[in-house]
Amino acid sequence: MVTVDLKDLSTREANESIREAAARGETIEVLNPDARHHIGVGVIHPVDIHVRGSAGYFCAGLTDTPRFHIERNAGWGLADNMYRGSVVVGGNAGAIAGVAIRGAEVVIRGNMGSRAGQVMKKGTLLCCGNANFMAGYMMYGGRMIILGESGERLGEDMTGGEIFLGGDLVSLGSDAMETDIAEDEIDDIRAFLDRYEIPFRGSLRKIVNAGKKLRYGTPERQVRSIPYFNFSGDSGYWNHKVQEDVYIKSQIGRYRVRGYGGARELPHLSDLAFARDIIPGALGDDPVSRVRMHTLIGGKNGAKPLDLTMPVLIAPMSYGALSRSAKQAVAIASGMAGIAENTGEGGMSDAQRDAAGQLIFQMLGGRLGWNIHDMNRADGLEIYISQGAKPGFGGQLMAKKVTKELAEIRGIPAGIDLRSPSRHPDILGADDLVIKVEELREATGYRVPVSVKLGAGRIHDDIKIAVKDGFDFVELDGMQGSTGAGGAEVMEYVGIPTISAICEAERALASIGRRQDIEIVLMGGLRDGVDAVKALCLGADAVALGTAAIIAGGCIACMQCHVGQCVTGIATQDPEHEKRYKPEIEAQHIYTFLESVRWQIAAVTRGLGYDDVRGPCRDDLVALTPEAAEITGLPLCPERRDSGLPEINAAMERALR
Amino acid sequence: MCGIAGILLKNGDSGIDTGTALIDMLDGCQHRGPDSTGFALYESGEEGQLKLRFHVGSDNEAGDAVAALKAVFDEHGAEVIEEERIAGSYRVVVRFSGDLQKFSYAVEHAAKVVSIGESLEIVKDVGGAHDVDDTYDVHLFRGSHGLGHVRLATESDVKPEASHPFWATGFADVAIVHNGQITNYWKMRRRLERRGFAFATDNDSELIAVYLADKMNQGIPLKDSLASSIDDMDGTFSFLVSTRDEIGYAKDRLAAKPMIMFENDDLIAIASEEVSLNRLFPGRALDTREPPPGSYRTWSRSI
Repeated sequence: MVTVDLKDLSTREANESIREAAARGETIEVLNPDARHHIGVGVIHPVDIHVRGSAGYFCAGLTDTPRFHIERNAGWGLADNMYRGSVVVGGNAGAIAGVAIRGAEVVIRGNMGSRAGQVMKKGTLLCCGNANFMAGYMMYGGRMIILGESGERLGEDMTGGEIFLGGDLVSLGSDAMETDIAEDEIDDIRAFLDRYEIPFRGSLRKIVNAGKKLRYGTPERQVRSIPYFNFSGDSGYWNHKVQEDVYIKSQIGRYRVRGYGGARELPHLSDLAFARDIIPGALGDDPVSRVRMHTLIGGKNGAKPLDLTMPVLIAPMSYGALSRSAKQAVAIASGMAGIAENTGEGGMSDAQRDAAGQLIFQMLGGRLGWNIHDMNRADGLEIYISQGAKPGFGGQLMAKKVTKELAEIRGIPAGIDLRSPSRHPDILGADDLVIKVEELREATGYRVPVSVKLGAGRIHDDIKIAVKDGFDFVELDGMQGSTGAGGAEVMEYVGIPTISAICEAERALASIGRRQDIEIVLMGGLRDGVDAVKALCLGADAVALGTAAIIAGGCIACMQCHVGQCVTGIATQDPEHEKRYKPEIEAQHIYTFLESVRWQIAAVTRGLGYDDVRGPCRDDLVALTPEAAEITGLPLCPERRDSGLPEINAAMERALR
Repeated sequence: MCGIAGILLKNGDSGIDTGTALIDMLDGCQHRGPDSTGFALYESGEEGQLKLRFHVGSDNEAGDAVAALKAVFDEHGAEVIEEERIAGSYRVVVRFSGDLQKFSYAVEHAAKVVSIGESLEIVKDVGGAHDVDDTYDVHLFRGSHGLGHVRLATESDVKPEASHPFWATGFADVAIVHNGQITNYWKMRRRLERRGFAFATDNDSELIAVYLADKMNQGIPLKDSLASSIDDMDGTFSFLVSTRDEIGYAKDRLAAKPMIMFENDDLIAIASEEVSLNRLFPGRALDTREPPPGSYRTWSRSI
């Protein structure tokens, strides 16, 4: 038995001792816990851990197989995302007990707080006392047993799983209903209660999902695709796009869902030009060899930074929105180019992990595919707050794409129109967020950077929170970013343009004197190396490319990503369609594209007279339109349209020939 | 974006001092708000005297503010008994028996008021609980009850006057600490402004304080005022309120903001997180309770 006394240790030191002892298979005793947060997070060995007192937030979180015994109370987020193993709490548990568990057994002898079992997927959450407001909120699977009162709105928006209730039912939540309970289910529960020596002889009732909200009522009829290039049209008024829109809405009676990005003209990096002529001849034969492009991102607070051969990353895109093959191609290309890939929402696959040199693992509100083992093999962790294409909204994955295999990875029922939660169970403000960031760091031993993805909305406030909450870097995503599926109106009209996002972020950080404390990766409609250099000039430390990489890998921009029948095999889960996609070949195309981006970044940087990508700055840019001048505060010089670029383009043609 | 704490000693033998207890509780949850820290402290004063605290800034600015305040004191018949400048603040005790609301609105024009009360004094500044204690000697307070707050500034600046607790402008001895966001702020504020109330800040916490003080001024007990606040306020909130003799809490129906409490024969302590409560009793597992959504309650000190 190893004793860890929190009276003398920081949480970080205590957790390191706990994990080391667990790896040796020893029983662990935690003294003087005094309701401190993050006790025992990240343990992945089947050992007994006795907490002699009360635990704070996220006790036993992000673990697999340990057995926790907490003498008295536990704070918010007990057993967060716990895979196998068990937790027994002698007293009460706070809000979101058993959040996102994936197989664990959680036993609370007292009462539990609000939203218990939110987005849980598998395992058992037992509360011997009373539950509270919205127990089982958005649960996807598993079993919840409440021996006391239910609290209000039991099973609110649950998708799957079962809730068994011994006490009074205060009220049922939306899309939950009572159903008959089977003998063998009762026997199972009795056996479970006996195993934990809980005397209960009362009767139970069963609550399940009522199935009224799992699918959209009327499916959207598939129409012949209008290519993006026509879709955005010249006329913004009564064009084909508007006509089609009205026609479809006349049939389905709701907003439309589609893929790709907004098609509306918005201020963009192309409304900016370089202030000086590119120096002809300065480029030489090989600008790449003459410009320092090596970039480290995420090392501000002592974590091992991402080590990039150029200031470029792949933007987060999920396995789910994209096929396994398409994700694999992107990962291979990112590895070849020496940059970082990002998992997006849908979890991490072995193929992707193996192919990508460096991989950021993204955590969303539904915690779909999130787990400690993949966290441990990631090179960065990212908390998704929102995305530029649809800030404030959760992901959408239509039933056609929610295959059995995909549902298994995500821990959800197959065949539903998956609307991922738009917010995290445990992040309801900057104060909760800081505790969450710390949990991720504690669980992974502070090894890797923790970033936040922010869809551009209230950037002026949000970026200040990001730096104050201690993130290593922020992935800032403007309105011109794309998505696999989203409400059409949202994509067109919600958010702020990418150039506004970076300018607001820079101003906000300057106003509190904290610019040097965080790095910014800008994304959202960046197309090439020229856009990348403009972003760097505006202050970004690096950029991320999503749509451009997909197009390089064969996307035809038909805007039907959400349907699931992508003819190129990119945005589909249908093996018949996916068969058409050749990951090795497309990886080569994406890689070649990334090398063109590298060449352009080097050439423009060199052409502006610098030998380091950290050189270009605001003085190197002018605005071409009044809107862009207003947004960026750059001088308005419309006469500089086209300046400099012909030289770059001609040189690049020569280079690629 | 913050952490809150409150304590009320039911009798004098608990062995716990209010100031020190609040410093410990706030230090325990400083991670929730590293930018600024504040305390609302209640210590019985002399009959007929008011304690006033202001932010006056430094140097000439401070001298001008204090001079302007003294002019207002003269005009309203407030006689200065003791005064002190601490950092950017000015503390003064006056003998006063006139219309407090008029008086407080008048001093508001001369300097930034932090608090006015017979027993209430609010101390707040940028920095952590121990930083503020170092400047203001919060640990010397021995009063019956108090509130505390740590803040992470998001929309407004990191300034002493934007810190919590908030005093209910115009009403003696009412203070509030709040975690959350009142989404019908402007609607509620305009309703109160139409009835002649003034607001010193655009902070939603001040609104709750004035709302409750107004109710109590109409003779409605604190407890019933808290009940109606849950109906009238939209948004997410967990807040603590204190008056000369009581503390109370209210929690919104969505239960989006944390709150936990511990009570024994000697005291009631309430905080955002149990880790703060445990600071009062190191090494002990406490029998705590989490207030249910949409609930409220008050406790009185023994007089």
